[in-house]
Amino acid sequence: MLSKKSILDADSLSLEDIKLILSNADSFLEISRRDVKKVPTLRGKTVINLFFEPSTRTKTSFEIAAKRLSADIINFSPSTSSLKKGESIIDTIKTILSMKVDLIVIRHSDSGTVKMVDRFVDIPVINAGDGKYQHPTQALLDLYTIKKRFGKFEGLKVAIVGDFLDSRVARSDMNLFEKMGMDVTIVSPTMFLPEDFSGMKVKHCIDDVIEDADIVYMLRMQFERQDRKFYPSVMEYNRFLTLNMDRLGKMKPGSIVMHPGPVNRGIEITDEVMDTSGELAEKIVIEEQVTFGVAVRMAILYLMLG
Amino acid sequence: MNKNEKKNVLVKSGRVIDPEKGKEFISDIYIKNGILAEMGENIKAKGKEITEIDAKGCIVCPGFVDMHVHLRDPGFEDEETIETGTLAAVKGGITTVACMPNTSPPIDSESMVKYILEKSEDAACRVLPVAAMTRGLKGREITDMGLLAEAGAVGFSDDGRCVVDSRLMYEVMRYSTQFGLPLVLHEEDYSVSRGGLVNEGRYSSMLGLDGISSLSDDVIIARDIILAGRSRAKIHITHVSTRGGVEMIKKAREGGLDITCDVTPHHLFFNDSYLTSFNTNLKVKPPIRSEEDRRALIEGVKEGVIDAIASDHAPHLDTEKNTTFRLAEFGTIGLETLFSAAFSKLCREEKISLPGFISLITTSPAKILGIDAGKIEVGKIANITVIDMEAEEEIKRESFISKSKNSAFIGQKLKGKIVCTISKGKLVYRRG
Repeated sequence: MLSKKSILDADSLSLEDIKLILSNADSFLEISRRDVKKVPTLRGKTVINLFFEPSTRTKTSFEIAAKRLSADIINFSPSTSSLKKGESIIDTIKTILSMKVDLIVIRHSDSGTVKMVDRFVDIPVINAGDGKYQHPTQALLDLYTIKKRFGKFEGLKVAIVGDFLDSRVARSDMNLFEKMGMDVTIVSPTMFLPEDFSGMKVKHCIDDVIEDADIVYMLRMQFERQDRKFYPSVMEYNRFLTLNMDRLGKMKPGSIVMHPGPVNRGIEITDEVMDTSGELAEKIVIEEQVTFGVAVRMAILYLMLG
Repeated sequence: MNKNEKKNVLVKSGRVIDPEKGKEFISDIYIKNGILAEMGENIKAKGKEITEIDAKGCIVCPGFVDMHVHLRDPGFEDEETIETGTLAAVKGGITTVACMPNTSPPIDSESMVKYILEKSEDAACRVLPVAAMTRGLKGREITDMGLLAEAGAVGFSDDGRCVVDSRLMYEVMRYSTQFGLPLVLHEEDYSVSRGGLVNEGRYSSMLGLDGISSLSDDVIIARDIILAGRSRAKIHITHVSTRGGVEMIKKAREGGLDITCDVTPHHLFFNDSYLTSFNTNLKVKPPIRSEEDRRALIEGVKEGVIDAIASDHAPHLDTEKNTTFRLAEFGTIGLETLFSAAFSKLCREEKISLPGFISLITTSPAKILGIDAGKIEVGKIANITVIDMEAEEEIKRESFISKSKNSAFIGQKLKGKIVCTISKGKLVYRRG
């Protein structure tokens, strides 16, 4: 069992809880590799996938995780609901609670919304991403991916590259990475950084970190989350921040490239890097992240409902 | 409020604070037929119709003047009305409120000023309208400022909005000098603040909430100081929230400008670290700023740069607050906690003298607005507040009588409680 009812942000995950989730993920990864990928662990439990913001990967990942554990999972998204009729989010939650569900997975486009919902409900809540605030299960699956590759966390050098300020993934990752003893550098231009970043390790160009990093974590350029575009152009981005073949080639042996997906080809990562084969391709662990995501979410659901 | 409350009131043995004369003394106060008839020791009032209030150990001072209040009347009576807002005011010890013009329709015409004055004749306290500077608060044309002044407006403001057009602002300032009334200025540069929800800084970045940089206030304060320097207008910066703002106002005043400012209790009380709860009642404009800014506001009060404390009472319905942080409206109610919130911080924590503090909510705002209020004077209609300074209570949602309950102070323990309020000569509030 986890020490808290809900998973709302990376900050409130204790070291013990993180370790418990990661160690449990191993056995659930094994289930996903079987021919019959289903265990009866959560039979009779009902999980709601409440997605107020469009999502493919995370929603599907939770859905597969729940189904492999035999839980009933229901997808609920605002386009098909009464939310457009002016129903408040609290009323929506109350309606769902009345149907006696056991756990709610929530994604919302506004920061802090999952925390607010959690105060209204007694059942466990999982934050599947809220606004620019947090995406804790992404950070957990990122940790698991790192664990599988490196077998340790302490002292690993991570460079998080891109729009730090608008990224919930970066916020959650940075917290968990530092919690596990990793050395985090943010590679970001000024407009994607807090006004005062004196307390952070910051570089402005990927070339400053590429040779030394164990993990290069490329953030998605959140064009959809920026209402004002201060970054000049893709060409400028390519010059300072994009992972291209030249930069990939400079990475040290054993180092890896991560990305929360979906990748904007030609912006964060070039086509050539995405489609590369051979030795260098081993560095790109983006698909592993997705595979491991299911196992980690199975572990989370199991620990919260089992 | 009990409308049949006896007309004559005897307040016994209170510690009277006269902020105008800077005096403190123990005295009885006798209010006869609504008039402050007598002040002195051991007053023996005769007659049956006397309500006696034992004020021993309590402070007795002029009723407070809150120069920044949204009564929402007309147009948003589901949030507040002149009746409910003034009842909330007297519960907070306030006997004069200046109400802001962003109603629907806005207070931008003679008839609207008259509506406010007429509708508030029977209200629990005095209501003085602040009229719009620009027609419809649209920032395009100057209102009939002369007619509005004659009708009874005590100042001009587009509060909640900032006049973006600098030339127009300059002409408003120049014209206002004809009438001698202050311009109450809400300072916000929309090109900076647009889309923002909380103070831009460490916490906005931590919480993934879009920031409103202090540049938003500071850029416009700088502009208006320049414009006031040329126009020689009397300007009042309301709800100052930034260190930069306090510094600029201080310099401008030293340079001879007729400039004043107020601060809200919530900007004195909270810093942006409180936002980690995503409490939508703390979503206000200007935003709750950093601890550094809060300290500058406290120092501004201590140094006398900040002239007044005003609530910016901004009622909102539950449906406007019980939503996501981004969608929630800006604003907190503040009438009922004006004294206790500011007193808890300024007097209890920061050890500011009580008479000095009282003047910030009585004589000083009255002087800015040029009104006869905030004094204790024999022979005048009585407006008096009695305060128990030792009382402490946790603020609860249920305790508010304002029509809206969106208080940033819910859950906070505040010191100092209003024992009773005599407004317009009547005992209109008594602690239950």
